[in-house]
Amino acid sequence: MTALKLIPHLVAWTLMVLLLLRGFPGRGRGVTLWAVAGFAVGTAGYVLLSRMLPVKIPLEIIRATVGVSFFLLWVVSVGALYRSTVRDFPLFGVQRLMASPFAAWLSAVAAGLVAGGICASRLPGIEGAAAQLLAPLLLALTGALLVFAARGAERRLTSSLTIPPSSLLGALVALLLFSSSSILLLDLFSPLSMKVMKGIHDFVHQFMESILIPDHLFIRPPIWRAIGLLFGKEVGFWGGLVIWFTPAILLLLAVQLEPLPSVAQIRQGAQRRRVQAAAITTKRYRLVIPLLALTILGMAVYQSSFPNVEYWDPKPLTITASPGGELFIPRKGEVPLDDGKLHKYLYKGGGKEVRFFVLTSPDGKLTVDLDACAICKPDGYGQAEGMVICYYCKTLIPLETVGKPGGCNPVPVPFTEREDGVHLDAVTLVNSWSQTVQATIRTGKEMGK
Amino acid sequence: MKRLLAAILSTVASRALPPLVFGFFLLLYIGVAFFTDETLITLMALTRNSVILAAILALLPLNGFCRLVAEAAAELKRRRALSGKSSRVEPELYDEAVELVAPASWARVEERLSSEGYDVTLAQGGLLAARRGGTLFPVRMLYLVGMCCLFSGILVSLVSRGVNRQAVVEGAPFPTPSGNGGMVEKISYGRISGLILEKSLIMEVAGSDEQGGQKFGIYPPGRFRGAFVYPRYLGIALSYRLSSPDLPGGAEERTALLPLYPPGKEAATKIVGTPYRLNLTLGKSQDGSDPYVTGKMTFLFKLLKGQELLLTGSIPSGGEFVRDGYRLAIPDSRRMVMTDFVYDSGVLLIWVAGVLCAAALLLWIPLRIFFPRREMLFKSEGELVRAFSRAEGGRKRHAGVFHELLDLLEVKEKR
Repeated sequence: MTALKLIPHLVAWTLMVLLLLRGFPGRGRGVTLWAVAGFAVGTAGYVLLSRMLPVKIPLEIIRATVGVSFFLLWVVSVGALYRSTVRDFPLFGVQRLMASPFAAWLSAVAAGLVAGGICASRLPGIEGAAAQLLAPLLLALTGALLVFAARGAERRLTSSLTIPPSSLLGALVALLLFSSSSILLLDLFSPLSMKVMKGIHDFVHQFMESILIPDHLFIRPPIWRAIGLLFGKEVGFWGGLVIWFTPAILLLLAVQLEPLPSVAQIRQGAQRRRVQAAAITTKRYRLVIPLLALTILGMAVYQSSFPNVEYWDPKPLTITASPGGELFIPRKGEVPLDDGKLHKYLYKGGGKEVRFFVLTSPDGKLTVDLDACAICKPDGYGQAEGMVICYYCKTLIPLETVGKPGGCNPVPVPFTEREDGVHLDAVTLVNSWSQTVQATIRTGKEMGK
Repeated sequence: MKRLLAAILSTVASRALPPLVFGFFLLLYIGVAFFTDETLITLMALTRNSVILAAILALLPLNGFCRLVAEAAAELKRRRALSGKSSRVEPELYDEAVELVAPASWARVEERLSSEGYDVTLAQGGLLAARRGGTLFPVRMLYLVGMCCLFSGILVSLVSRGVNRQAVVEGAPFPTPSGNGGMVEKISYGRISGLILEKSLIMEVAGSDEQGGQKFGIYPPGRFRGAFVYPRYLGIALSYRLSSPDLPGGAEERTALLPLYPPGKEAATKIVGTPYRLNLTLGKSQDGSDPYVTGKMTFLFKLLKGQELLLTGSIPSGGEFVRDGYRLAIPDSRRMVMTDFVYDSGVLLIWVAGVLCAAALLLWIPLRIFFPRREMLFKSEGELVRAFSRAEGGRKRHAGVFHELLDLLEVKEKR
């Protein structure tokens, strides 16, 4: 099962090496050695760090590295486009740097470190010191073998396929994003969509205030509903897609908009056409890698949107209040409350249906929260891998922080914990739902948030 | 010093500068996002309070202005060259430049260019200029001025915006810091069938010592002593009297400004100096009319003492409610508009930018698609002729014509 899970990551790693070898022609040996070393160190580093520190920390390091590389890709792709369209765009010695062996080695080792870390994060927790040592060793060995396989494959590629540095970076980052998108804690697309959703909301709100546009009260409902579309998760998703794909599209445009060589000095029409046709053919070959990056980024979005993770999301149990307006949930009912899982309930009262859950956090504390946050529409939460996830905006919330108010955390509800179980006031629960959650349903007054 | 100045100018006018500034603020945004959910507001506050950040943002309008000057100068040079007024032609201003042996006559070149739809002019000094289509230069100027206005507006708005929220109440003086605004004679609110707005709100203010009477609507917002009058939400200013068994002297009249619109929305007011709290709602009319429009208002109330609910009921404006020793009266209620007085010169610049950019886009599309500018210039210098070509669109066809013309001549030397 673990081997199956590792296959896409190892395929991505092999492709990375293949691209590195072609992207740095004549530096095959250096790229091979540094890629092997990087992958081995990445694997070992992740395993060591995850044993010494909470597992979230090495994962955060990998996620941050992939995030930074994505930002770097943005910078490079904008630069590439400017370089194609502006005659005197300054390069500050980047070309010289990219031609040096240092760039090849650095790229190989960096890709190896991250890819090794991602692959190692898929290794299961195995009992026994020997087994714990053997699994990373096998992984590092497989990574090294794949490097040599990639070197063999690279020799068979057509010589017309050249990879400019910007396209190489695009493809490498796309493969890293693809590899990390299948792991819930490494995925970048879902958090990006969420941030875009919040960013667009803030921007539109501030923009409307800035140019003194009146509130919804005065505006025609269809217009306001159209504005309200800007606050939905769909806009976050589409905005996320724009940010996600734009670097690869800019790389494509950079190649496409590159001016053809000047042929004004050639006085034979046939010769001129030959020169230009050759330039167009080269251009077409140079489009292959950005197109590949675009495809891989699309696959990463698919993996992120349909993760192979099953969320624990029990059907809410309907409960009723006592004549005194108290809700009681026994500690040792059909399902014990201290099993560390979400226990969802539904209370109908005061003309409202209130969904809430009880959860025992990893430190043993009970918490009662609405199945909704103060920001998003109340789509509720699911539980997976030490986290709960907001279904609306896909924000991951560590179990340790559930019960704390703010952000996309579930809204905590005051309750009393006794020997027999959890007691809470029905009116307080309904008011909490009405005040906090109902405000997020309408796209009216505050437009969502 | 001169070289340093030139370097600074070329940096400020560089097309690489805007993406660098945007990238910098994007990085800052990402950094701020790690610490707070209110990322944009925090970033705006940071920029407002930091001279360095404001200066970095100011590079954007500065860059727009420098580009405007640089592009206008380049256009001027090209025009002078095309009209033969300038003897100097700068190859950097053209897509292609080639040096050839001068032909004995321009007749064939002229004929070929005319057949391709170019306007050909022959000037003194052996100059042949050909042009076709409309230049995008004015559009580009509109766009650059628009961008200058936009980023200047954003900058001015960020660093200097001041907002003073006041309640504009019918029959009360128009609120100003100095307190001598005219009387608010009427607040009228009604339905209209606008393209974007469906309600109208007009605050009619009588003349004061300093100013004549004025009317303030919704959009575009009116101005009063340098401030935009920006209506935010509607409410009711009501006076009420409460007496109760434990407040023998409690029947004094009090005033509350409550955001009670639309009908059904609840607002609370604490009765200062007493343990009582009043929750009020503007009741819906039986006939379906809007009480804020008609002025016929009835209020649903809840009287609470701490958490204990003492009374509920309804009182029409000007009426009272009496039960169990409690007497609640609402002698007067008036329309109220909570209004922001916004001191912000950036808003005008942003509006101007919107108009200029929209105009630029509307002109750019037909010009670029249907009539792109294409130019050629042949300049004789002794036995040689220098040929220049540039196109703002339709480059491929234009280059084809240019190359064919060059085939008529002999190449002397590559540029």
